Amino acid sequence: MLRIDEGSLRHWLIRVLGVVVVAFIVVWVPTQMSSSRIGQFTDAFILMIAAMSLNLVLGFTGQISIGHSAFFGIGGYTAAILIKDHGWSPGYTFYAAAVVAFVVGCVVALPALRIRGIYLALVTLAVAVLFPTLVRWKKLAWLTDGSKGIDSVRYEDVPVWPILGELKGREGRAVFMFWLGLIVVVVTYLVCRGIVKSRFGRALVAIRDNETAAAVMGVNLTTTKVLVFGVSAALCSLGGVLSTLKSGVITPDGQYVTLLGSIVFLLVMIVGGAGTLWGPIVGGLVYVWLDSTTRDIGTNDSGILGALFGWADQSPATLILGLVLVVIMFAAPYGLVGLAKRLGRKIVVIVPRPVGSSTSR
Amino acid sequence: MANLGGAAGTIESVNNTDSGNVPLLEVSDVTVRFGGIIALDGLSFSIDQGAICGLIGPNGAGKTTMFNVVSRIYDPNEGTVSFQGRDLLAVPAHGIAHLGIARTFQNLALFPTMTLLENVMVGAHSQGSVGMWRAIARIGAARENRRIRDWSGDLLNQLGLGHLAHVPAAGLPFGTLKRLEIARALAARPRFLLMDEPAAGLTHSEVDELGDVVLRIRGDFDLTVLLVEHHMSMVMRISDKVVAMEFGRKISEGTPDQVRNDPKVIAAYLGAEA
Ligand SMILES: Nc1ncnc2c1ncn2[C@@H]1O[C@H](COP(=O)(O)OP(=O)(O)OP(=O)(O)O)[C@@H](O)[C@H]1O
Ligand SMILES: [Mg+2]
Repeated sequence: MLRIDEGSLRHWLIRVLGVVVVAFIVVWVPTQMSSSRIGQFTDAFILMIAAMSLNLVLGFTGQISIGHSAFFGIGGYTAAILIKDHGWSPGYTFYAAAVVAFVVGCVVALPALRIRGIYLALVTLAVAVLFPTLVRWKKLAWLTDGSKGIDSVRYEDVPVWPILGELKGREGRAVFMFWLGLIVVVVTYLVCRGIVKSRFGRALVAIRDNETAAAVMGVNLTTTKVLVFGVSAALCSLGGVLSTLKSGVITPDGQYVTLLGSIVFLLVMIVGGAGTLWGPIVGGLVYVWLDSTTRDIGTNDSGILGALFGWADQSPATLILGLVLVVIMFAAPYGLVGLAKRLGRKIVVIVPRPVGSSTSR
Repeated sequence: MANLGGAAGTIESVNNTDSGNVPLLEVSDVTVRFGGIIALDGLSFSIDQGAICGLIGPNGAGKTTMFNVVSRIYDPNEGTVSFQGRDLLAVPAHGIAHLGIARTFQNLALFPTMTLLENVMVGAHSQGSVGMWRAIARIGAARENRRIRDWSGDLLNQLGLGHLAHVPAAGLPFGTLKRLEIARALAARPRFLLMDEPAAGLTHSEVDELGDVVLRIRGDFDLTVLLVEHHMSMVMRISDKVVAMEFGRKISEGTPDQVRNDPKVIAAYLGAEA
């Protein structure tokens, strides 16, 4: 076991190595892979954003929400309506969606001030179920186009960005969406990180661990919960905007807009590691990878998997995916990031500086 | 004498005191009922600035309930509480820390997933100002973190917990966590510290040591202390004044010697043990 002092040269080298590896993967994917693979990474980005937003509320603050699919949908619809009906340039719809979702998120937080646990889960469940119904409602058809949804909301022409140069056709669009998605992931991550590593973030965890004690320490439970719900909803809506821009359509039963979306966000967060900054990122990658691999397996009936799942009439993809996720949760109850931390500590231990004013820089 | 006038009444009582000592906390006729149970029954007492006041009484006397009233966890059914002349019952629970009131809990109310250092840093919540927007924009957040981390680390060192700073609170021995509660309460730089049975679960020598710790922090931090304790020797040794309770009522008040020799107090304890 290697012991490394916090802030020492070796500690910095490890950090730099981490950044280099991530940067390498990030550049390698859009330049070396097929456009359908690149698209899968963008799908993972979308899930990462939604799961990171949910993580703020559930992972760090301990407030259950099964309503995040509604915030995701609000993002998608805000973008679609502004682009189609008002001729907005797609880039600006991110800001508008965030503002709308922030307000809705603050309102949804109000029940969280009074109720907890399973009851809060039920209220947010209602929000998730209500959203598609509301969007389908005849009286709102002028805005949302009912069950048909809104289509062709893509970028007319992909903007030209420095470094990337001009991107053309299907492939170019995939590469552009990758970089756009990556930017939103990085922004979301930085927002979450800023929050978590601050006085406000410590208050969130304090609320999760012991509400009464948090209040006695001076934490205003009301404003803290309302604000964190609002910002979480705003971040989640960014994922919705991205998803709509990528696929070009949004419908009331579109991907992640229904209750199923909330369940997937929950899974991604838990599999990756709830209450950790990197959990949703790892979870998003693993989920999309498992999803696409199991889908391929399902189509052929030979071999072990055919013998195991041949009895199923339809493709066993979802079944296998579900089983694998359950196994991961058993093997890593604190998520993959939790598992990695535990294993990593057996190899390298970062020794923190002694605490107190005399030892600090 | 009943003090019904809230803030105004307190000012009057300040003017009337001969010694010129301003009572820091004044509890008047406080009654708390839980359904049929009367946990506090018209309780009145006051604590002078800078004093250590012991609050004793048999189990179920209402001592913890008193703490919960002062820290605004329970709303009393009747009565007033004023702190430095201010109506405490008009302050929300999260405003108490900002007024300079901190407490420890009888049955521990720590943040188990956090490290000891983080627990103490949350204790300093009222000493910081970075909210969500400033955290996102990173305006002054790093500097505040450094300041609060150093301050919290110093407190851990003072209470002999520095070597455990980065260990999660969950699973540590009860006595250690009791001390952590004191460090966390001190992090708020309180004027007034309420300690609910800080010596519970400690050995005899540790209890003596804790008594010295309380005396030391009273001096170092310029504190007024309200101390609930069943270890009579410690209460009597360090308190300037003792209030004895039974069934939610005050049965005796005075210097440690007066209270110790009060027949009502002796009867209450013998009755409780019988
Ligand atoms: N939240 C509550 N709901 C109902 N009854 C309560 C509540 N809190 C306290 N009580 C009751 O009020 C009475 C006083 O309790 P309290 O905890 O204040 O006593 P205490 O003096 O702290 O006792 P101990 O020395 O055992 O800690 C008890 O009869 C208790 O059962
Ligand atoms: Mg008690």
